[in-house]
Amino acid sequence: MINKKIKKIIDTIFFTEIIRGMALTLKSFFSPAVTIQYPEEKRQPFPGFRGQHAFVRDEATGKEKCIACGLCGAVCPSKCIYIYTKEDPETRKKVIDRYEIELLRCVYCALCVEACPVGAVVLTENYEYSEYTRDALYMTKEKLMDNWDRFMAGEKGREYFKKFWTPGKDSFRAYPGQPVFKRQGAGNKEAGAEGK
Amino acid sequence: MDLLYNAVFRPETYSPLIQVLIILAKALVVVGVLMLHVTYATYFERKSIGHMQVRLGPMRVGPHGLLQPIADFIKLFFKEDIIPASADKPIFFIAPAISIFAGMTAISVIPFFSGFVVANINIGLLFIFAMSSLNAYGVVLAGWASNSKYSFLGGLRSSAQVISYEIAMGLSLVGVMMMAGSLNLSEIVRAQQRFPGGFFWPQALGFFVFMVAAFAETNRTPFDLPEAESELVAGYFTEYSGMRFALFYVAEYIGMIVMSLVGITCFLGGWNGPFAIPYLPFAWLFIKLYLFIFFFYWVRATLPRYRYDQLMALGWKLLIPLALLNIIGTGLVKMLLKG
Repeated sequence: MINKKIKKIIDTIFFTEIIRGMALTLKSFFSPAVTIQYPEEKRQPFPGFRGQHAFVRDEATGKEKCIACGLCGAVCPSKCIYIYTKEDPETRKKVIDRYEIELLRCVYCALCVEACPVGAVVLTENYEYSEYTRDALYMTKEKLMDNWDRFMAGEKGREYFKKFWTPGKDSFRAYPGQPVFKRQGAGNKEAGAEGK
Repeated sequence: MDLLYNAVFRPETYSPLIQVLIILAKALVVVGVLMLHVTYATYFERKSIGHMQVRLGPMRVGPHGLLQPIADFIKLFFKEDIIPASADKPIFFIAPAISIFAGMTAISVIPFFSGFVVANINIGLLFIFAMSSLNAYGVVLAGWASNSKYSFLGGLRSSAQVISYEIAMGLSLVGVMMMAGSLNLSEIVRAQQRFPGGFFWPQALGFFVFMVAAFAETNRTPFDLPEAESELVAGYFTEYSGMRFALFYVAEYIGMIVMSLVGITCFLGGWNGPFAIPYLPFAWLFIKLYLFIFFFYWVRATLPRYRYDQLMALGWKLLIPLALLNIIGTGLVKMLLKG
């Protein structure tokens, strides 16, 4: 009791708390800064980063994978995907005529990627897409395919699908703690076991 | 070389006209060095506070942002000078000038090294008090003339704060005057040569009171109530823009440098150091000055702002009694040592 009182008096007279605060700021003064000098140094996005969209180019055919089912447009919370379909005169199948994403309205939730039954649309790791006009941020099919070629072509795209965005497949296994939406009865086996 | 030596240290060997010219040259040198320090004090502040917040501070203009103060100056110089329609114009114009004049004039009595002082007057310390009080006029008048409630509150706070802390500061330096037996700052520095570490140890209490009062006098955190940005926008210079704003800014940094220099000359042995540095008689003074200024920034990065009543309570109930105690103690010790 008396010790506590004496300690309090000493704390008041010699500003021990202020001195502790000063010691902390001095310590952080000599610790390296966390700033990244952006245009010169760039931060590597974490795997699975949800950046600008791309439309998957099928390696076998060289064309888009899309089957024009319209699920991505249906699931999109901000309704920024516009899909126009037509009938292929030869095979008489439904194919896409135009596929457009209005980037300025997109919230980058990646629900379209999850909804797609064939894995035809992805979010790339590209985050540097500032433009001066709205038109430049209105993505047409050609621009989206171009994005695939630029950012996701080859091994990277394959890896991406294997790791992150095929939650509907039985082979999909999330790493511990990965936030994914799961279809009932499918996907992560451990998580499913816990659910029961 | 001899000519220069005589000009600096023995100007009385020349005719009065040349003596005036010598004083003018000295003043120019001091003002030039001072302004250079002010510009780079802003850079130093932004850098050190940045690093304390685990940031980098200015990095873009020149290598490591070294040209940032110059860029800032050019920007402020070319900015539009806005004068509020209902401002009291003459006072509005005069206020920043008073601030900067008071700060710069106070520098003139500070000895930079043995024999180099612009005005070697025998009431140096009193002169500095007078000037730092005048500085408050600049702030108060700016607050009044802007005709804005934020400025006005800032000005009022500043006047109350400066009046309260002026007393504590004056009393804290009385101990130094008693020990040195002089008000001339060069004499005070010479008197400290007998003590290792200057008057810092014998006047530790006075130094503490002086430091706290210096923070309040210069309106620095934790006592930056006159310009408390979260409450009063920018306090007394809310309505100022462009070059006039820059003048207040410069005055604030000059105030800080003056207070540091007073602290150094009165408590830390002025230009004297543990050993003499050849050819640079002012080196120790500047090293101490930089440490002092760093301390100002360090405190700013650490402490939050005091509440207004806490500020007043600290000044009147703690600092002034402590300073009085210090005076009595110093007097008693002095009497005992003599008798």
